[in-house]
Amino acid sequence: MIQVQNVIRNYKAGETVVKALKGVSLDIGDGEFLSIAGPSGSGKTTLLNLIGCIDALDGGEITIEGQPVSGMDKKTKTEFRRNNLGFIFQTYNLIPVLSAYENVSFVLSILNIPEKEIEERTMRILKEVGLEGMEHRRPDRLSGGQQQRIAIARALVKNPKIVLADEPTANLDSKTGEEILKLMKEMNRKYHTTFIFSTHDSMVMDYAARLVLLHDGQIVSDERR
Amino acid sequence: MRFIISLALKNLTRYKRRTIITAVAIAVGLMMYIVVDSILLGAEFESMRNLRWYETASARIMHPDYWEERLMRPLDISIDDPNTIVDALRKEGIAAAPRTMFSADLILYSDDFGEDGNMPVQVTAVDPELDNTVFRFEDTLIEGRFVESGTNELVIGSWFAEDIGAKVGYWVTLVTRGNGGFYEAMDMQIVGIVNCPNPNVNRTLLMVPIDTIGDYLAMEGAATEINIALPENAEIAEEVARIQQLIDPSGNDLLVVSWDDLARDYVALAEAKRGGTGMILFLVFIIAAVGISNTMLMAIYERIRELGMMRALGMNDRSIQLAFMVEAGGIGLIGSTIGVLLGIAINFYMVNVGIDFGLLMRDMDMGYRIQSSFRGTWSPSTIITAFFFGSILSMLVAWIPTRRALKMDIPSCLRHQ
Repeated sequence: MIQVQNVIRNYKAGETVVKALKGVSLDIGDGEFLSIAGPSGSGKTTLLNLIGCIDALDGGEITIEGQPVSGMDKKTKTEFRRNNLGFIFQTYNLIPVLSAYENVSFVLSILNIPEKEIEERTMRILKEVGLEGMEHRRPDRLSGGQQQRIAIARALVKNPKIVLADEPTANLDSKTGEEILKLMKEMNRKYHTTFIFSTHDSMVMDYAARLVLLHDGQIVSDERR
Repeated sequence: MRFIISLALKNLTRYKRRTIITAVAIAVGLMMYIVVDSILLGAEFESMRNLRWYETASARIMHPDYWEERLMRPLDISIDDPNTIVDALRKEGIAAAPRTMFSADLILYSDDFGEDGNMPVQVTAVDPELDNTVFRFEDTLIEGRFVESGTNELVIGSWFAEDIGAKVGYWVTLVTRGNGGFYEAMDMQIVGIVNCPNPNVNRTLLMVPIDTIGDYLAMEGAATEINIALPENAEIAEEVARIQQLIDPSGNDLLVVSWDDLARDYVALAEAKRGGTGMILFLVFIIAAVGISNTMLMAIYERIRELGMMRALGMNDRSIQLAFMVEAGGIGLIGSTIGVLLGIAINFYMVNVGIDFGLLMRDMDMGYRIQSSFRGTWSPSTIITAFFFGSILSMLVAWIPTRRALKMDIPSCLRHQ
């Protein structure tokens, strides 16, 4: 499903060029529950961003569902993300003026799905992530765990092929983090959605069905469990 | 689209204080624009009316050479038989009255004025029977009466009378050169004082009967000008052309000049003041643009991560930009609505009561032909322009900061603190 081939990404920090990824190659199959782990600065987020088509390659190629990412222009990438990818962020990134329902349903609005179907799908996913009855609450009236559940619902409501989660539990306590992981695992099993998430937390790594370890921009191990 | 509008409107309530402050800045600017425009427009309308009623009439017939040398007041360049033309015009339903203008030296005597003195003046000789069909001095008498034909009587402007200490019953002498250049001295008694809404007239008016003056100055029935009153809603240029055609067969080679040519100085001044309104509009533009731009810049800067999230989830730049522009338009709409309502409320007072600049106008010539209260006028086009201007401008100025934010790459947006 996803082929990462000899991917290189460099960043400029003043005069210095930081080599964030030094020729990373990886094959990810349908429905995988994969964790990209490593210490800070190892290139986890960079790799996720490149797979998520929100960053540009300096070398190599990423192919998703047979489509090479490097050949996509800005508009195509936007459309591709809109139709195929879900994102979960460490800091949830919810829109504070919108209710839980609106934070989830807007993803369907931009896909021009009819209002009735938006309502059905949003209510269903909110129920599945355990937020039934809280759909009218704004994020500031919900706990961190509940906010991350909205983010998961937002990522899954459009039935994407791939969900990318950057350190999804880093802002949560261990108990809530575990609940979120269990939820993600359940969604992975139920919808057969590919989950790729970055972490440096060993508890999170334990949940992964496949663990890819990065160090200094290179894969040092790739373990299936 | 519905989501974009809903998001934009909800974001308006996100930073209430900032929204209110920006909206108030726009409101104050637009209110000022509406009120100032109303006062200037009102002053202009009233000045034009007072010019026509007390100074220039709607149009004037004179000899072309007199028009060229009008500042010298030459008595030898005149209309030989003004009454024939006046009668012809009156038959056509056009009110007309002859006048003779001349320069003189006004001699004041200590018997009446306490001390002797003299000063240069401009004198207007009028036909007492016809003049009030063209001008409106009849209602402006505050003391005494109007001049009568065949008498040595004089009517004076109230401010002029105040300045020289003149009262009804006082005698003055006018010394001037008659038609042909001979010197003539005329003893005249002040019989009335007029206080009209045109300050220029109040400051300078000396009015005498035209037949008496004709005898003194050897005018032999001639007058230097014929003044014409046209209906308020008449198309002046068309009427001037029509009158010109009416008088041309007389063979007198006369010229009809419209009031706006006669009051060229005033018209130029009014145009300059209209330019001033444009400056106010420009200032409003700056206030609104800077206020909205700053508000939107802060709003966007605080929401860069949110913006990155929306872009990551596949929302296109155009939709995001539209959301911010609708939000800015919302602020503009609130500000414009408040501004227009405030403007209408204040203008209501300005139209019905006005501001009394009487004391200021007494000692200062602002060019306007208004003696005391400056009143506003209703200008629906200004109010509509102000409303749309405030709303649309707000949307437009949000475009720049949003565009800048959208140039950031998505990972940088998501990392933004």
